[in-house]
Amino acid sequence: MKKAVVCCLLFVVCFACSKHPSLPSSFTQSDSEPSIWPDYAGVTVPPNIAPLNFLVDSVDDVVAEIEGQTFGGKKNKVQIDENEWHEMLASAKGKSLSVTVYTKKDGKWQAYKPFKIHVAEEDIDPYVSYRVLPPTFVGFDELILKQRNLTNFDETTIYNNHQITEGVEGQCINCHSYQNYGTDNMMFHMRLQNAGTMIVSDGELIFVNLKNDSMISAAAYNNWHPFLPIIAFSTDHTMQSFHTRQITKVEVMESASDIIIYDVKKNRVQTVLNDSLEFELFPSWSPDGKWLYYCSAHHEYKKKYEDTDELLNEYKSLQYNLYRLSFDAETMTFGEPELIYDAASKNRSAVQPRVSGDGRYVLFAEGPWGLFHIWHTSADIQILDLETGEATLDGRRESQLVDSKAMNSPLPESYPSFSSNSRWILFESRRDDGNYTRTYFAYFDKQGRVHKPFEVPAKDPEFFRVFLRSWSRPELMKEPVHITPRQFYEKALTEPIKLSN
Amino acid sequence: MRRAVHFAFPILFIVFFVLLAWYFLYMRNADTMYFLQDRGWWNSTALFWNDCMRFPGGFLSWAGAYLTQFFYYPAIGCVMLIALWLATFGVAKWSFKVPNEWSFLLFIPMAALLCSIIQLGYWVYILKDVDYVFYHSLGLFFAFILSLPFWQYLPVNEKVQKWIAFAWVPLVAALFYYPLGVYALLAATLVSVRRLFFTLLPYGQAQAEHSSLFTLLVLALTLWLVPLLETSGTTVMRPDQPWLYGFRKFELDDLRDYSLEIPFYIALVTPLFFPFIKKIKLKKSLLSLGVMVIVAGLMYFCLSSRDFADYNFHAEMRMQRGVEECRWNDVLREAGMVKGPVTREMVMFRDIALINTGKFCSSRYAYNNESVQPVTVSDSIHIRICDQAGDLIYYNFGETIFAIRRAIERCMHYGYSYYTMRVLTQCALINGELDNAHKYLRILSRSTFQKKWAEQMKRILDDERLLLTDEHFRMPLKLYNEGSELVGTDDKYVELTIMKKWMYNITNDPVAQEVALGCAMIMRDKNCFWAQVQQHYNINPETLFPIHVQEAMLFGVYELGMEGVNLSFVKFDQRVVDRFNAFRERMKQYASQGMNEKEIGRALRPEFGDTYMWDYCVLREVQTN
Repeated sequence: MKKAVVCCLLFVVCFACSKHPSLPSSFTQSDSEPSIWPDYAGVTVPPNIAPLNFLVDSVDDVVAEIEGQTFGGKKNKVQIDENEWHEMLASAKGKSLSVTVYTKKDGKWQAYKPFKIHVAEEDIDPYVSYRVLPPTFVGFDELILKQRNLTNFDETTIYNNHQITEGVEGQCINCHSYQNYGTDNMMFHMRLQNAGTMIVSDGELIFVNLKNDSMISAAAYNNWHPFLPIIAFSTDHTMQSFHTRQITKVEVMESASDIIIYDVKKNRVQTVLNDSLEFELFPSWSPDGKWLYYCSAHHEYKKKYEDTDELLNEYKSLQYNLYRLSFDAETMTFGEPELIYDAASKNRSAVQPRVSGDGRYVLFAEGPWGLFHIWHTSADIQILDLETGEATLDGRRESQLVDSKAMNSPLPESYPSFSSNSRWILFESRRDDGNYTRTYFAYFDKQGRVHKPFEVPAKDPEFFRVFLRSWSRPELMKEPVHITPRQFYEKALTEPIKLSN
Repeated sequence: MRRAVHFAFPILFIVFFVLLAWYFLYMRNADTMYFLQDRGWWNSTALFWNDCMRFPGGFLSWAGAYLTQFFYYPAIGCVMLIALWLATFGVAKWSFKVPNEWSFLLFIPMAALLCSIIQLGYWVYILKDVDYVFYHSLGLFFAFILSLPFWQYLPVNEKVQKWIAFAWVPLVAALFYYPLGVYALLAATLVSVRRLFFTLLPYGQAQAEHSSLFTLLVLALTLWLVPLLETSGTTVMRPDQPWLYGFRKFELDDLRDYSLEIPFYIALVTPLFFPFIKKIKLKKSLLSLGVMVIVAGLMYFCLSSRDFADYNFHAEMRMQRGVEECRWNDVLREAGMVKGPVTREMVMFRDIALINTGKFCSSRYAYNNESVQPVTVSDSIHIRICDQAGDLIYYNFGETIFAIRRAIERCMHYGYSYYTMRVLTQCALINGELDNAHKYLRILSRSTFQKKWAEQMKRILDDERLLLTDEHFRMPLKLYNEGSELVGTDDKYVELTIMKKWMYNITNDPVAQEVALGCAMIMRDKNCFWAQVQQHYNINPETLFPIHVQEAMLFGVYELGMEGVNLSFVKFDQRVVDRFNAFRERMKQYASQGMNEKEIGRALRPEFGDTYMWDYCVLREVQTN
């Protein structure tokens, strides 16, 4: 009797501990692929990505067979063991994994046609950082800057505004960025309470008030020079209005904007562009540091400068083109603006440029008008190939767009960037439900082709379905942020230093 | 006989407390209790559990939020809460060996917690704590359980028992600080108090004194170090305030209402005296009976004086629920029952009901439009419609984008709730954002009592044609389709934004046009009014104008002296004309008697208080919030 009990207990323990469910002995075969969520069928993934856990709706149980190994999870979920997943990825580099899904409903099993997960040769940078916030418009009671290890599911906080305040009139944190994917040189802004810009310079934390009388506003959208201690910023007056019928809901507009650069070591700003007829925004350095890309919309106020009523009436006419300036690091001087993509002539608006490592491709978000494309349903990610195209009548070269349909959706896409090896495109999208921003990655192969993107994997595949906050403004990093939240907090309690000039 | 009296004490007070709690919770505040659960939030996802457990007291939050759901049926929720209080009483009585004669004293913290629920007033709208009702009651219950001297029942010698009792102080705090928050610290303090005053000090020996000092030292270190160490890595709260977490604060920006916090301090501090009750040497029943009566009287007095009984506050909640459930006649009945001035939110709810019953321009002035700002508990909050049910009001006027905006903003500030999820779902369905609606319904169906509603909505999601016939969507969809696209903002003025937008809206739909006409009348904008009158005539040339429109037209032309308006084509109801003439006559008569405007308004009210003219002349300084 005792032996039987022990055997039973051992069996139960072994069964409970088993990571590998057995395949159903009998099932009916479906001739279609399973409908899984997130949609990982046919995607291309880096060989260092965390397990692509998924679920199947409206079933009681799921088993997935991946390269002869079976995986299951709670009820309708498939949660793959991390170590085994990485082993499988390592052996499938440059090849594909075949996934066969079996589902059980009302006691009956069904097997689906296998789908492929393609494994690229190139890794992705192992960390991504992002803002976690409700899909809010004005309030920012709770904003968290987080970082996630993409090779597993570890997520940590870089800074949480609740460390400073919990009030309705809270603290806004935004525009985090890194120099060349490293975190020894990084920054983000704090607004309203304990306002200033947190800058990590060669691992040392400084807190700066990036505003002087010659600037329109405190420095805003930014990009680090790839190797010099220089950050390019746009300074702007932002306004926000709400639609009453369009499901785009919000229009964000700039009534004025300029571009400056800030020398972190000298604590000085230098104006780069301040044409009152141009709204210059989103500066972005080329990886060789010789070009400063940006976008700009031309607008001439009819009655008075910064007439917000006029802008409200004409918001659709604010369309941004892509430009670049040459940069001489010796003399710290810039060349003349060079138009590289005339979006306005196509009745579109191009913003947020990012350049590939070899300088050949420019990624950007393109929408119908304006600059905040995450609110524009027709907004897509585009890639400009600077090595293609023909000369135009005005003597410039009109570069061609790479076919990027594979990574876009009918819902908004925005804020794209390249990985450090330029083989991965990171962007944010609202394709899941139209309202909550999620992070996606797409493979960009050596031939310049874009592959089907995949959503950042979650330990619990249900996570993003029930998560009522957005992951906004993702940035890839080679390493985690080393400064602790406590250090940021303590620095934020100090008086920010003023600009030297 | 003496034995019967001995047992009668606790039973008498239990009965009294149960009746008291039932009276204040259910009979006087059933609508508030329903409202609290409706603005609550619980779901069975791992995410919600993890969200709760990030904070000290996380389990109390999770369990509190779960139990709060049961106020969906206020009677059930009340029974559960009262049962918890009785269980807490039982545990405390047993644990502290409180004699029957003085056991009623154990109810003091529970009465304080009862007070904390019924005194909230308009704070219910901005309360971030979805666990509010049960959190502290559960905490107190677990604190008493964890302070039970279980070591006395262990089969070990006395010395070991003493060591266990001693070790239990830091242990209970450290182990349970994250699940139970400040109540784990209370348990540690209760264990120490018991040890200090009943195990060590009574002996008065030098060794005992040393032990007492040591116990105090351990307790002090525990209370200081446990919150400090256990929250040292957290980023979800201010690192300079680890000891304050779990203390309920009624703080909004720079304002703080300390009076609302008192019950929680009572609930936390009074248990520290429970170990001493058994030391009361007075054995006279009459004396304890007297004290019991005084305590009972004080409890009733305190609770009735702190009970937020403002009529409009409760009526707003009932009307909001009525609007949500499309019980238009109930909303109008509620509006008709109000005796004094009403809040603007009540006016909006009533107008929504009138629009849905087709009486917006024919019955609106039959109801009281005399307005008053919401009566708040103190000056610490200035409640605004946008923080109350601005999203629901926007939704019912077809302004789904603004509704979403207000709902999300409120979620950001005060947290998600079933109410907000429902509004967001309905907006998403009207906007055609079906994936989004699906997301919200998926989450709602993971709660205990919202499943039914979610199922109902899923049917609409599967067959969008039902939007046209379902009462929840019929009018909002119509107004959504007939309303105009604009770009702007509301500056937190919900009523004003709706009125201003709609009075300019020219539509050919008779129902929506009546809304536009009504808004122009309310705003008293003559240009919009006559433009809407013209439009009404264009689409309804054969029908009589609604009564209030007739009144407004007569008033505009003959009293306000509108020039260039030709009323010859308008058919008037003779009764309206007669009343208008009588009104003018009476006004002149009262004015000739030397009465001032206010006096004339009062004198005219019984006869003409249900007319547009009276409203226009008397209610001049209406302030929305």
